[in-house]
Amino acid sequence: MPLDLRAVAIASLAVLVVLVGVYLGSGGLRWFDAALAGYLIGVLMAVFATVYRYLVWLQRPPTALMNKRGWESFRSSGRLGRNAIGFVGLVGTNLLTQGFIRRRSTARWAAHQLLFWGCILAAAVTFPLTFGWMHFESVGQDGSEYRAYLFGVGTGTFQAESVVGFVTFHLLNIAAFLVIAGVLVFLYRRLRDPGALAVEREGDFLALAGLFAVSVTGLFLTASSLWLDGAFYSFLNNLHALTVILGLMYIPFGKLFHIFQRPANLGVHFYRAEGELGAPQSCRRCGEPFASEMQMSDLKTVLPLVGFDYRTNSGGSDDPAEPAGNYQDTCPRCRRASVTLAQCARVGGFG
Amino acid sequence: MNPAAPTIVDPLVGARMFVIDQSRCIGCEACVQACEECGTHRGQSLIHLEFVERGATTQTAPMVCMHCDDPTCAEVCPADAIKQNEAGIVQSALKPRCIGCSNCVLACPFGVPKYFALPDQMMKCDMCYDRTSVGLAPMCASVCPSQALWFGTEDEFEETRSGQLMHEFRFGNQVVPTKVATVVADRTAGPVDVMTADDAPRWQDDPFGLGDG
Repeated sequence: MPLDLRAVAIASLAVLVVLVGVYLGSGGLRWFDAALAGYLIGVLMAVFATVYRYLVWLQRPPTALMNKRGWESFRSSGRLGRNAIGFVGLVGTNLLTQGFIRRRSTARWAAHQLLFWGCILAAAVTFPLTFGWMHFESVGQDGSEYRAYLFGVGTGTFQAESVVGFVTFHLLNIAAFLVIAGVLVFLYRRLRDPGALAVEREGDFLALAGLFAVSVTGLFLTASSLWLDGAFYSFLNNLHALTVILGLMYIPFGKLFHIFQRPANLGVHFYRAEGELGAPQSCRRCGEPFASEMQMSDLKTVLPLVGFDYRTNSGGSDDPAEPAGNYQDTCPRCRRASVTLAQCARVGGFG
Repeated sequence: MNPAAPTIVDPLVGARMFVIDQSRCIGCEACVQACEECGTHRGQSLIHLEFVERGATTQTAPMVCMHCDDPTCAEVCPADAIKQNEAGIVQSALKPRCIGCSNCVLACPFGVPKYFALPDQMMKCDMCYDRTSVGLAPMCASVCPSQALWFGTEDEFEETRSGQLMHEFRFGNQVVPTKVATVVADRTAGPVDVMTADDAPRWQDDPFGLGDG
């Protein structure tokens, strides 16, 4: 596939926006922690690759049309307000609490929620720290009290030895435990279920291995500083940074890219609702409605773009250049019946 | 695929192939029950089995995924969620990616994918890949009493069955080559033409030619 220069330009712009955000949010790099520069480079590469892949993905004909129709349906005249409220609800049910996974399997849902919230928590801590948007300063000289600063603005103070202090300084450890718990549940399923193993793709294990590696090496740092007097800290620090940077760079290329693809499901809800309000598509064989005319029309637009021609002359035209109908106007049930009848006609007797 | 082309030999399932001969179906629904036992989609039957036109013919219509060489379902998927593995098996939608739009359900020329509203996902027959990848017959073929659904080698087919294997279907202007074969009397007559079959006389309705007398 040739390099998409437009996508390169937009992805580069996204990197620039992050860099400007880092500069402005860290007070002109005053609060930027140079020790975290490696993480920032990892983030920038991930941003570039993710934006690039997303834009290339959006160019596939079915994706481009669904994306366009999703937004059109969302902005549909007279229903924008209602759709906006519906959007908030869908973010809650589909993106945050992910009820659609629970309806498949409670264990799977629990594991995914552990991974999801663990990663959200880790990102909420790591990104602001890496960008220099958040930092801590001790209050006074004895190091017993700290104040968190967000974009250089001081927030509340807390005692280092308090519950708030403990939780604050261990947020990434809490995130690691959530992620590891989710990984173990998924691994247990994947290693024990022959059906899951049969349709296994290498990315499934790689994603779990990556999340596990990032979490465990992060916990190693805590273990080193708390219980081993900082032994191997420098090595472990580099090891953790390496796993995080590789993990960030894996996002756009592997299974974790679904983080950015899956939200398109929200657009489908509006697309479906819009289709139900419009005219239905009736089957050319049985006459029953089976889909929205809008979606069938969209499919008939997309199919030639991806190399298919389901048009037919059976409607009466003798000119192949002016096909009279389209096989796609057949409902799925009649398609199955037609295939059966066609095969039976070709057998011509007891098989 | 031209009629003289060799049968597809799958490196992962040996020389065995999946054959569906709809004309043999007796509508017993054993396949529907067995399909639910498939390890890759336990509890969900993904095979289709319907009466064609109950008042007019005894013919029933079983349908499994034909595993097209160039799957229409995958090409129209906006989420790029339908993948073909190295053995040519067109797999169910990848669960993290499927956005539940039903494009695949509506575009598949064989009417195979099913949309399940509660998990908001498409699922389809994956030829019991947990079984076929180790040489076992798909669940449906293992229980089909009339062998309308059949799994074996080409030699076994020729020894035990009549008819010839066909891997191509025509839908209007579109010819669709498939991994799963069907059975025809004479494959030199070209692909199974689905659009012209509806009005053809059905041999099952008068199998012994009594109507002519």
